[in-house]
Amino acid sequence: MDVERSNAANRLLGADPATNTMGLSVALEADARQAAAAKLAEEHALVRSAQAGDRLAFESLVRRYDRDVLRLALNLVHRPEDARDIYQESFLRVYRNLHRFRFECSFYTWLYRIVTNVALDHLRRRTSRKEDQAPALEDAEGSTRDFFDRQPEQRAAANPERNLLGQELGEQIASALNRLSPRERMVFEMKHYQGLKLRAIGDVLGTSEETVKNSLFRATRKLRASLEGMR
Amino acid sequence: MRQQGGEENQLNACEEFEARRILLAAGELDSAEVADVSEHLRHCESCSEAMKLDSELLRAMSEHHAEPDAALLAACRANLVDALDKEEEGGWVRRALGAFVPPSWLAPRPAFSAAMLLVVGFSVGLFGPKLLKSPTPATVAPSTMLTASSGMEPNALDPNPSAVDANSSSSTPMSKIDFHTAQVAGINVFPAGPSEPPQVQVQIRTESPVTIRGSVNDSDVKYVLINVLHNNQRFDPDMRLDAVDLLRVRSDDPEVRAALCQAVHTDQNAAVRLKALEALSESAGAPDQVRQTLLDALVNDQNPGVRIEAMNSLRDLAEKGQIESDRQMLDILRTRVQKDPNTYIRLQSAATLRDLAPSSKF
Repeated sequence: MDVERSNAANRLLGADPATNTMGLSVALEADARQAAAAKLAEEHALVRSAQAGDRLAFESLVRRYDRDVLRLALNLVHRPEDARDIYQESFLRVYRNLHRFRFECSFYTWLYRIVTNVALDHLRRRTSRKEDQAPALEDAEGSTRDFFDRQPEQRAAANPERNLLGQELGEQIASALNRLSPRERMVFEMKHYQGLKLRAIGDVLGTSEETVKNSLFRATRKLRASLEGMR
Repeated sequence: MRQQGGEENQLNACEEFEARRILLAAGELDSAEVADVSEHLRHCESCSEAMKLDSELLRAMSEHHAEPDAALLAACRANLVDALDKEEEGGWVRRALGAFVPPSWLAPRPAFSAAMLLVVGFSVGLFGPKLLKSPTPATVAPSTMLTASSGMEPNALDPNPSAVDANSSSSTPMSKIDFHTAQVAGINVFPAGPSEPPQVQVQIRTESPVTIRGSVNDSDVKYVLINVLHNNQRFDPDMRLDAVDLLRVRSDDPEVRAALCQAVHTDQNAAVRLKALEALSESAGAPDQVRQTLLDALVNDQNPGVRIEAMNSLRDLAEKGQIESDRQMLDILRTRVQKDPNTYIRLQSAATLRDLAPSSKF
């Protein structure tokens, strides 16, 4: 829309639209950089206020990132009650240790380090406790359905056959994900659903980009092998 | 035979491309690599088929990816607010204990917790009396130290204390300790009353370990903290940050101010420089020294965060009338508008110029 408007203005002024489009994209890029710098400065100010004991500033920081944190937790553990525990423990740890944050990395990276540690601990604990391995809950009819089953299947809603297929697929995916190691699961989730770059995931997990890459390869291969027959 | 070799090569190429296909799906390839993989996919049916499978897999998984609903998010937020309230009620003692033994760690392991408490109890019973009898590092009360060093008030600005007494004991005056060789083992801070400065305990490892305890208003504590900043290459950033944090309340003291200025100019760690700048901007005295340090940081510091802090402090102090916005300062701001590599700083410099010199052209 902006490009069209700008081209129209150029035609009036007799300027070359191609040159102008390039100029506009450079200007937009500069705007984006400027907005990012302003956001970063604002975040630093919030962190400093929170470090000085300002509770409102801390709650503002929480609200910036808590939806992402909850999404990550929910998709790793598949049980809302466990996701709630991870959410709470993560932010409490952030609150207790905020004075140690020295601006040597972004606040987002630091926060995610804490969240991933809490979530990995949780996943490892669950793997070692057999009774916790099946994330199943009993519904009103007495049948057990796992978290994936209880997610609304938007596309299949109007079609019972697709609904059933969707449920089966959900079960297959849940079981395939359960075969990944906690770290592989974490890497796959952060890459494909949180949109983090491999290098950023490495920073968060305290490991190299190469190791993260290998975890992603292993996760993808395992999932492919588990879900090969689903088509 | 040649056909077999060709198939083998193709197989190797496909194995190599498998990793790159995964990276392509993850959006981790640059444009040249994308072109390379796309070219391969155009000619290789098996890879193209595998790529399709991977895409279907990701699509199916994203369709089943759970999004937290508003009710769950609201419940999490409400629980967190309650937990934070409790945390604040618990105060610093519980937080400090929690750092060593997180309650969430012990709660699910009652047997382990009980065993650990037994072990701790036995250990205290067995070793406690022995430890109490063993010689402890001398704790030097600031008042006694001042008596011992009467007439030898340490010159904190001198980073090279001249006299080094190899046999320095617990009663060694602070100025006799060479901070080029002494180790500061730790700086511990203990909160005091609401209107009192916190108590600081500094452990110094020399031949005879020395422990100093007092508030930052005590000259020995101040002397050690200043020396931590002076010898910044020898102490870790956390310790230097603690030193700046503690000295901050005394930023009006000329010696402290000088140490903070030196930290802004020479410390390797950007966080320490940033904190030192913040502390300096709160200093009421020596406006010229503070102003020059802020200008130096704005011009020379490599870290954009430090430069932003320097500029914000300059503007605040100039607006309050605590420093003069003279020609040198305006010239520096004009240069920043034109030359600073950081867009935010260029824009803020322009805004500051407009505030401080509305008629100025740049």
